[in-house]
Amino acid sequence: MKILIHLLLTFWLALPAAIAAPLASEILAASDAIRNPGKPFSVTVTLTEFQAGKQVDTSTLTSYSRVQRQGGDFASLIRFVLPLRDAGKLMLKNGNDMWFYDPASKATIRLSPQQRLLGQASNGDVATVNFARDYAAALAATEEIKDGERRTRMAYKLVLTASTEGVTYPGIEMWVDAENSRPLKARFFAESSRLLKTVYYRRFQSQLGAERPTETVIIDGLNPQSVTIMRFSDYVARDIPPTWMQRDFLPRFQPE
Amino acid sequence: MNTSTHAVVCSCFYALSLTVTPALAADDEMDALSLESAPEVEPTAPRNIKWFAEGAWGSASQRYLPDSRNIGRASIDFSYASRLAPGWRAVVSDRLDYFEPALAGSDAAVNSLREAYLSWQPQGTDSVLELGRINLRYGPSYGYNPTDFFRDGSLRVLTTADPFALRENRLGTVMLRAQKLWSGGSFSLAYAPKLEDQSSTHGWNLDLGATNNRNRALAVLGTEFSPKLSSQVLVYQESGQSATLGFNMTALLSDAATAHMEFTRGSEPDLQSRALGVAAPAFTRNRFSGGVTYTTTSKLSLTAEYHYNGFALDQAGWTTLSATPGAPFIYLGEALRLQEIAPRQAYLLYLTQKDLGYKDLNLTAYLRLNPGDDSRLAWLELRRHWTNFDLSLQLQQNIGSASSEFGILPDRRVVQVLGTYYP
Repeated sequence: MKILIHLLLTFWLALPAAIAAPLASEILAASDAIRNPGKPFSVTVTLTEFQAGKQVDTSTLTSYSRVQRQGGDFASLIRFVLPLRDAGKLMLKNGNDMWFYDPASKATIRLSPQQRLLGQASNGDVATVNFARDYAAALAATEEIKDGERRTRMAYKLVLTASTEGVTYPGIEMWVDAENSRPLKARFFAESSRLLKTVYYRRFQSQLGAERPTETVIIDGLNPQSVTIMRFSDYVARDIPPTWMQRDFLPRFQPE
Repeated sequence: MNTSTHAVVCSCFYALSLTVTPALAADDEMDALSLESAPEVEPTAPRNIKWFAEGAWGSASQRYLPDSRNIGRASIDFSYASRLAPGWRAVVSDRLDYFEPALAGSDAAVNSLREAYLSWQPQGTDSVLELGRINLRYGPSYGYNPTDFFRDGSLRVLTTADPFALRENRLGTVMLRAQKLWSGGSFSLAYAPKLEDQSSTHGWNLDLGATNNRNRALAVLGTEFSPKLSSQVLVYQESGQSATLGFNMTALLSDAATAHMEFTRGSEPDLQSRALGVAAPAFTRNRFSGGVTYTTTSKLSLTAEYHYNGFALDQAGWTTLSATPGAPFIYLGEALRLQEIAPRQAYLLYLTQKDLGYKDLNLTAYLRLNPGDDSRLAWLELRRHWTNFDLSLQLQQNIGSASSEFGILPDRRVVQVLGTYYP
């Protein structure tokens, strides 16, 4: 009887919040729409790596992204710009279809998700991803957190569980600003529930028609002293044909 | 300490760890958020020209002479790609190597015009037409590429034993090529005419005789069956021979593993007859290469491959050939020129480790094994990257009995230091 009363009380107390809060899937979709422009685009990505607070490396890429089909996931073609030894090399990520192309050796190599080309950042970190497509979201809490600018924000905490095969992270916790659906923070977990990394989204600026995060801070889950900052600049809407996003196009790619 | 006391102490430590760890993590996260990104690179047009200069110095201990010999090389590697007009693109790629001492039978300075072609893609289409010297390369394997039909004769000089780096130095073939792309596939046709009879050893020659010494044609259909599986079907024809069929495939096996394979079936004289210039009938045989690459979370990648060349000598044939003085060298030289494996079967282990105990220090190593005579070629490179400069140490060891594939080679061990400058 006690348990029944407790359950009813919990349900009664949680009911107003449940009615007031939008659906978790809607929160996630709105957050995706802020991170990702709704049309094909290119963006310059500057990666800065830190160890124990000291900058140890920097590299620059240009990413060309588009949704491959209606409701589908993004595909990204990434061109290495700096350092000079890597300039012109290409990486293609179209879901689990990942390729690396070196114009010097003309070699096109299939990559597994575990193969990293970008220092501490995973290949998926620089590609554009729609979480709402690949994950089922549940609203776990509405709570205050520190955002990427270290300001206190009221946020929806979403728990994302992979709903499609072949996603890079089986589980994600994501905090979305309750006021404006901006993604604020995410924690990415391995199958073993080990924390792989914590990501903060910050420096929101107007880009391609919306206020979008122009920096993500990636903190390694095992070694928090290992940090990568990805800065996104020079967003440009582009006509990117779907035929770009395949292996056989890579030798033909010519940067514009 | 009795059991109950121990349990209480453990519980206290556990409770303490639960409270302290998040606090520490939160501190780390706040520290991370105080970091600032490096300045953005000003948006500029992509560089049309890319070049680097490389110097190598080393020593080779010799099997048939008591003294070691010094080896030195200076190289300039240049490539240019530019959009001439909407839809039009020009590509030039060249490399100049200077060897001290000069390679046997070659000039000290050897220029390799690798590519020089025009490309035309009509606006709004997914078709392209290309004309000129094009480095057209197929095949996903690391150490042996049966479906790379334009590989023979394409290496003017050998500057490294690394099969990946070797591909960067190869000559393209003069051809007319057309390709049509669609979502999930492509089809291409290439025709390479005969332009010269013989290869040239003159350092500044374009060496069209090495790549265009017969009429050749290649059709390739590429298909991506799924995000985890893709393939290419190839039909190759050269003058005087029947068509050779080829097939290659790559697959994603798991988050950490990929697989690849190549297969060809065609008719031609055996490798020994070709090497020794003996007239011989054509036989129908297979070539095969297949392997798996596994990558760990610590950035170690290991590839294991099996190679098969039905036209090469088996162990009994090699033993017979070895009885004729000089013949094995001619045979191995021809296998190298054609970029074939010399034995009927071979294995390759290829390993890369990024950030080997130190950031930007990379290890690349491979082992070629001839199971017929148990001879091996072991090669290792340690490479340290700086912003504009690479410093490398390369070691190569040819291991085997005096009559074996690798044991017969004149160099027993090669040690080289290389410096590469990227301006």
